[in-house]
Order: sequence, then C-alpha cells, then structure tokens
Amino acid sequence: MPDEPPPFLGAWHRVYAAVLAYLALLIILFYGFTRFFS
Amino acid sequence: MRLLDWAVLAGSLVSIVAYGLYKGRKSSTLNQYLLAGKTMPWYAMALSIMATQASAVTFISTTGQAYVDGMRFVQFYFGLPLAMVILSATAVPIFHRAGVYTAYEYLENRFDPKTRALAATVFLMQRGFAVGISLYAPAIVLSVILGWPDRVTTLVMGALVIVYTVIGGIQAVTWTDVQQMLIIFFGLFVALAMVIILLPGNVSLLGAMHLAGAAGRLNAVDTSFDWNNRYNLWSGLIGGMFLALSYFGTDQSQVQRYLTGRSIAQSKLSLLFNAMAKVPMQFFILFVGAMVFVFFTFERPPLLFEESALRQIESGAMRAQYAPVKARYDRAFERRRQAAAELLDAERGPASPLRPAALENFRQAQKEFDTARLAGARLAEKASGEKDFNDTNYIFLSFVTHYLPAGIVGLIIAMIFAAAMSTISAEVNSLATVSIIDVYRRHIRTKGTDHHYLWASRLATLFWGVYAVIFAQYGKNLGSLIEAVNMLGSLFYGSLLGVFVLAFFFRQVNGNGAFFGMLAGEAAIFATFKFTAISFLWYNVIGCLVVIATALLITYAAPSARAGITPAALRPPAPQ
Repeated sequence: MPDEPPPFLGAWHRVYAAVLAYLALLIILFYGFTRFFS
Repeated sequence: MRLLDWAVLAGSLVSIVAYGLYKGRKSSTLNQYLLAGKTMPWYAMALSIMATQASAVTFISTTGQAYVDGMRFVQFYFGLPLAMVILSATAVPIFHRAGVYTAYEYLENRFDPKTRALAATVFLMQRGFAVGISLYAPAIVLSVILGWPDRVTTLVMGALVIVYTVIGGIQAVTWTDVQQMLIIFFGLFVALAMVIILLPGNVSLLGAMHLAGAAGRLNAVDTSFDWNNRYNLWSGLIGGMFLALSYFGTDQSQVQRYLTGRSIAQSKLSLLFNAMAKVPMQFFILFVGAMVFVFFTFERPPLLFEESALRQIESGAMRAQYAPVKARYDRAFERRRQAAAELLDAERGPASPLRPAALENFRQAQKEFDTARLAGARLAEKASGEKDFNDTNYIFLSFVTHYLPAGIVGLIIAMIFAAAMSTISAEVNSLATVSIIDVYRRHIRTKGTDHHYLWASRLATLFWGVYAVIFAQYGKNLGSLIEAVNMLGSLFYGSLLGVFVLAFFFRQVNGNGAFFGMLAGEAAIFATFKFTAISFLWYNVIGCLVVIATALLITYAAPSARAGITPAALRPPAPQ
C-alpha cells in the first residue's frame, strides 16, 4: 500500500512541523491565559 | 426531566441506534465487519477516534475537576499531538502495510506467537476492566436525575450499544461515533452558553474569568517540575506523550479505528486532526467547569452534590452533627459571595488600590468555603462508613438538572449518553476483534471459513457487551472516574508501548527479548505503583524503558537467538 502525499503543504514532514508549531502556540497561549487571570 | 427532555433524549438514542443499524447493514464479510473493508474517509475515522477517547466520564468528571481543582488537567493532553505525529510517521504505515486486523497480530509477524499472545492478553485484561467503568459512568447520570438503580441504567445503555455493534460491526460503530460527536459538540456549546447566560446580570464573562482565576480555577499551565505532581507541563508533555503513544498506538480500541482507512494518508489525517482538535476541546470542557464554579459562587450549591449522600446524613445517625456543619457552610458561602462581589467591584475600576485587599479577602473566603465543604464530606464518610468521599462526578449534572431549561437538559443528558455509547461500542468491538483474531482464529479454530469467523465475531461482540453490563455493577467507589480509567491504563500501557517500540525501531531484538522484556516492564510498573508515590503518568515511561532495556540485555546475552533472525523475518508481510 503506497503512501500518498498530504492534501496540503506538499510533504508529510511539513504537516508534522505545522502540528508541532500549533502545539507550541497553544501552550504559549494557555500560559499567558494562566498568568493573566491568576 | 420534563417531557421535552425525555423527547430529546429518546429521539437522540433511537436515532443513534437506527443510524448504526442502517450504516452497518452491509457488513457481510469478516473484513467488512472488523475493518469496514478499509473504506473509511479521514473525517469519519477522526471523529470516531475522538469519540472513542471522549467517554461520558470526560464530561461528567472533567467539568467537576475544573470546579474543584481548576484547569490544570488540560496539561495531561499536551503530549497527545506529539504522539499523533510520531504514530502518523511510524505505526500507521507499518500496520497498514502489514495488512493486519489487530496490532498484536503484527507482533507475531515481527517476533513470535508468545509475544503476540502476551500483548493480546494484556489488552483483553485492561480493556475488559475499563469497559465496565465506561458503562458505569452514565449510571451516575440517571441515579442523580431519576433515582433509578444503577443496574437498570447499565442494562439499558448496554442493550442499545449491543444491538447496533453486534449487527453492524465497525461500520456501525464508526458512523454512530460521527453522529455522537456532533451531538457532543452541540451539547458542549449549549452548556457553555447557558452557564454564561445564567450568571448574575452584573457579572460579565471577563469578570467571571477574573473570579475563576482568583480562585485558582484557570490554572491551565504549571511550569514547575515535580515527580509526584500529576498535572504539570512536563508530566503532560512527556508522560502524556507516552500515555497517548500507548493508547493510540497499541490499544486495539484505537488502532482499529485507523486501520479502517481507505489509504495510509487518510489514516494519518485522522490522527493529525485529533492532534489539532483534542487540546482545545479539553480546554473548552474544563472552561465549562470553571464557569460552573463561578455560577455557584453566586448561587448557593448544595453542601454535597451527591444528593443520596446528603439524604443519608439528614436522615441517619449524623443528623445532629449536620445542622452546625450546614450552618457553617451557609455562612462561608455568604461570605464568599460578598467577597466575590467586592472583588468584581474592585476589578472594574482602573488599577483600583482596593484590588489587592479584595483579592486576598476573596481567596481567604474561598479557603473557608472549601473547609466547610470538606466538613460535609467528612460527615458523608461517617454516615456511609466509606473513606475518601468524592462528589466531583455529580457537580456538572447537578448544575444541568437544577438550572437548565426543558429541552436543554435532555440535550446534555443525550450528549453524555452519546459519549458513553461511542466509547463502549468501540471497546466492545475491539475486545471482540482481539478475541477472534488473536485467540480463536489463531489458537482454537485455525481453518474456519470467512462466514464462520464473521458469526464468531458477532457472538464475541455479544459476549463482551453482556460482560460489560455485568462488570459495570462493580464500578462504584473508584473515586474520580476519569482518573481511575487513566490510571488503570497506565498500569499496562507502558509494557505494551515498549514491545511496539522494540518492533518498530530495534531490529536486532528477538522474540524472547520482547516477551521477557514485557514481563519485566509490567513488574516494574506494578512495583512503582505499589512502593512509590510517583504519578501514574510516569508509569508508561518507566514501563517502556524497562521493556527496551531488558529486551536488549536478553538479546545481546543470547547471541545465538539473535543470529536466528533472518532479514525476511524483519520485513512486514505483504498486504493481504
């Protein structure tokens, strides 16, 4: 069963990198949220 | 529950069962019944994966956790996106190309029959236990609302799930998961909207968030490191990643979801969707719980949310002690409400000099309130004779049933039922799959027809459904249910993860190394559980590392066995 390219960003490693960047952004946002409301 | 609520609930449940039967009507071969003929699109798998993980416990218990402990539980999910990326790059293509029905089938291709048998046994033990808890959770719902016995509830729930899961197989399970997830999303948004609408008119959303934050309920990220602290950034990223790797990579109840994909790319997308959506979803659920906390800052909550426990105190030997405890609780509530109002007033002014004093006063009032509530919990323990009274699981439902309007209550209850049914159906489906593929077809009847195995799978599904109903009777007194489920998984997942890491990345390791490595990993996890205070999130890390170290030691200590591995044995089998 061959692997297909992703429907966006051209290559899977770019998709993985985008997911990890998104996670980092979420953690930063949540950290700011915690600090602001504490 | 009013008539409209019953109509919404009954309509939702009937439509779920009917839709499941309709979508599963064409399951006439073993492959269609267990893998949907590998035809599933990514969005169906993605929502099925999400629905399988999000059990009724997620909504009942997580909201309650935010009420009593704040939002720090969200960190538990920080490792999930990391795990999804790793699994998309490794497990998904390997399992797809191996053409297997179960993850454990792959272990025989890679190692030997005994390693497969051990992994399948570990799965059947831990998932068999968990399915009972998953079914018991909704019983709490109806015991709170109607005073129905738990047994009736588990029987009704179990029967509904059994009907469409036995008949329709994984196609019914997956498509009902999609439908159930849509009900869940809708219910969540309505719940948050209602709690915000029901706040007093002078409390804005921002003001409510300031109050929740002042009481420590918006503590989403804790950067301190402590081995014994269950939820901080590091335990979430590392421990959470290992737990997610174990759950999504080695637990058949999840692996089977993405094995149904029509291509490797579709399966990868289903996992990556969860990588993006799961953390915000958990944040959202916890935020609902934090807002329920603010709501009950202005609306007096019961001393105990578990009404049956309260009745037991009021009518039993603890009756005389109840009055002073209740009076103290009422005073503490009034003081906290006053302090909250003063803090909100201080927050409104630009950099008011009164703010620090008002904040300190509110925090002190919150402490007194918590102490008064704890006194009520102690009374409940004395009245029942049980230790560690915990009514966390009743908080959200108490709010829903007492304060939300007709129709919405039915919708929220339907949401919790949908969440429970999606998890249970996937668990029963996967337990049946492992029972047939890894036990019956492998060891008992090895040369049956496809038709025979199809019907054996249906019977196995029926068996596990009935088993879950019976086991659910023992789900009581496990404390916060979501922690019980996660802790239980962590007792077994580390060793399962370890053996799959060996299979994927350590080509030199042989079957003996993997088998005895798993046993050593399991022993290490139980020793950690029994003799240390280390948080359960780390069990997966410890178990996995012990499996790998032991397997390498055995493999290198017995070079003759290692020499017996041929290059052909290391390659996954051709797709079937």
